[in-house]
Formats: sequence, structure tokens, C-alpha cells
Amino acid sequence: MTGHLTGDCEHQEVSALIPWYVNARLSESERLKVDAHIAGCAACRADLHVEQQVFEAIKGAPTVEYMPAASLKRLQTRLDTLQSVAPAADAVPVVRIRSGWPKRALMAASVAVVAITISLLLADRWVQFRAQQAAPNYRTVTNSPPRARDEVIRAVFAPTITLIELQAILDEAELRIVSGPTEAGVYSLAAKSNRPVRSSLALLRQHPTVRFAEQTREEPAPGDSP
Amino acid sequence: MTPLAKNSTKERDSALLTAVAAGDRRALEELYLGYHRRLARFLSRFTARYENIEEIINDTFMVVWQNANEFRNASLVSTWIIGIAYRTALKAFRSQKNYADMGSLDDHPEQSVDPTIATEIHDWLQQGLGRLPIEQRLTMELAYHMGHSLEEIAAITDCPVGTVKARMFHAREKLRQCLPALSGAASESRARIE
Repeated sequence: MTGHLTGDCEHQEVSALIPWYVNARLSESERLKVDAHIAGCAACRADLHVEQQVFEAIKGAPTVEYMPAASLKRLQTRLDTLQSVAPAADAVPVVRIRSGWPKRALMAASVAVVAITISLLLADRWVQFRAQQAAPNYRTVTNSPPRARDEVIRAVFAPTITLIELQAILDEAELRIVSGPTEAGVYSLAAKSNRPVRSSLALLRQHPTVRFAEQTREEPAPGDSP
Repeated sequence: MTPLAKNSTKERDSALLTAVAAGDRRALEELYLGYHRRLARFLSRFTARYENIEEIINDTFMVVWQNANEFRNASLVSTWIIGIAYRTALKAFRSQKNYADMGSLDDHPEQSVDPTIATEIHDWLQQGLGRLPIEQRLTMELAYHMGHSLEEIAAITDCPVGTVKARMFHAREKLRQCLPALSGAASESRARIE
């Protein structure tokens, strides 16, 4: 009887560990315990077979890759707003301590801080709204966004690239950013010197952090009139 | 990832978070770029709308920015950040109806997957997962999609290990109820045993 209870306990304990046996995240002693139990327990072997299928299906499910550049830009805007509001909020207790303003004045100051915060947020929303209104909310394959002036190359960099690395690549290729990144992480690049665009393009493509680089403007052939 | 690479990632994350706590915006950006892909992939398991994914990730990093000085090395930086993302996602999924098909099995007890419609295990699984209560689904995805250990999930979800085991147990049971192919495989094996 005791043996039976011990067996049930062990079965339940091992059964609860099966998901982490499947994802290979058990400690060595736990793994050995599961191995030993499974060898003599057909129910757990069946459970293991099912969980392996679920694990493989979840792990192998296709996922969409998103470029972080545009999202990071929006986070930076939020941080800018937060930092521009913070000093105003901090000023309130200072006013109270130094001048000993009555409660009503302090409340008025608090209301002013809240009003400034709301104004900043509304201004941000308004700018976003105007931008949305100004741009068409559809795009066809033949209707690409206007090309930036002087743009010669469009490029997409790895999401993990740092600003220093990006600048080093651009300096080496004698290019500069004229606009971007877009929602899709695309930068428009212009030439900084008379270096042939094809040469800059070849250099970009050598870098493992450059995911995509394409020339957008043909170079004039030697002898062509300007 | 090799143990050496894992260690260097841990050290890098720790140094970046220390810099964030000191008010270094560049460090926050580097941390953001390091985690964006992993978090976006994980969250895309729950919603196809990128604006929702971005909102959760950016809310997470606003919390990281504001609370970095409260991190006390009680866990890995990655566990701490994913824990914040977990709570942010949980809040978003609970409050917004348009986050994927977030109905739980408890909300629709009379429904079951029609095996004539969904013939592939993958399709059944997606439907089954979509009907799990959100805490159970998150637990399963943290283990199977992100590959976290039992203890890591307990730290991320701020729950005892026993609660994590219970959530996983219920998730597995409910999936089997609505995945005839899988439960069939298990019951056939059991029948053979008996």
C-alpha cells in the first residue's frame, strides 16, 4: 500500500516535469529521475510523446520578423516627453518649501503641471494625427514613397547594429543618411564624395550587418552630359 | 548559445542595466535592440497586430527606464525584463478584447474543435492554445517557445513553482480535450497498457 502511494507520488511528480524534460531544462538529477520512471511507466511515455509533438509544433511555428528602428524612435519620443515633463513636476515641492505658498497656490501649481503634461501629450497626438491625415492611408506597388533628394542607395541594417557601427560603415563607404529609418527600417543614403556609387554599394554589401542595399539612381556614364 | 556566449550576454546586460540606472539613454537603446526581436517573436504568438506588440515592448522598456535602479541582482537581467514584459502583456491581454482570439475554454465551454475542419496538428494546436486561459497559455509558451526552465518561469511570473506546475498541468489537460489527434495518441497508448 505504501509502495503503491509512493509510486503514485513519483508518477505525479515526474508527470509534472515532462514539459521541462521535453525542453531540456531539467537539472541532471531531475532528468535521471524522469528517465528512470519513464522506462517503467507506459502512461508517462505516452504523455511524453504528446508533449514532444506540442513542443515541436510551438517551437517550429513560423514567426514574423519585425524591424525595431521605428518602434525605438517612438520610445525615444515618449522618453523625451517624460523628461521634459519631469523637471516641471519636480519644481512643485521646491516652490512650496522656499516660499511657503498656501495650499490653494500649490494646488494651482499642480493643476498647471497636469495641464502642461496634457498639452504635450495632445500636441504629440495632434502631430501624429496631422501626419496620418497628410499621408495617404494606402499604397500600391507602383506608388512608392517619394525618393529623398540626393539619395543614391537604400539600405537596411541589422536591428542589433549600434550607432557607432553604423557611422563607421557609412564613413568607410563615404555615404551619409538623408532620411530614415522608415517603418520598415529603410535608410536613404547619399554620397559624401565623388566615389563611384557602385563602389560604395559593393562595400556596404560586404558587411554582415547590412541586410539589404540597393542603388536607386544610375550613375552617369563617363562622357554623359550632366 | 555556448556557455561562454551566455556569460558574456549576462555580463553585457548587467553592465547596460547599470548604465540605464545612471540615466544613460544609449544603454537603454542597446538593451532595447537586444531584446526587441525575442519579445516581438514571443508576443506575435498571441497577436498578429504589430501596434499591440510594439505597445507592450515600449511599455516594458518605459518600466525598465524608470525602475532600473531598483534591480538588485536577485535574478538575471533577462528574467527581470521578461518578467516586466509578462506583466505588461498580461494586463494588455486582459483589458483588450482585440488581442488575438483570447477567449478561454472557460468562456466557451460548449465549443470544441471540429476535427473535419482542422486536420493538421498545427491548426488544432493554434485553436487549442487560443482557448486556454491566458496565464496557462503564457506558462506553456514561456516553456515551449522561449525555452525557460520551471524556476525561471516562477521568477518571471512571480509565482511559486507549484503554481507554475499546476498551470502547465491544466494547460496540457485542456489542450488534450480539444486536440483529438493528440489525446487519441495518448489514450491509445494507455489502452494498450491496460
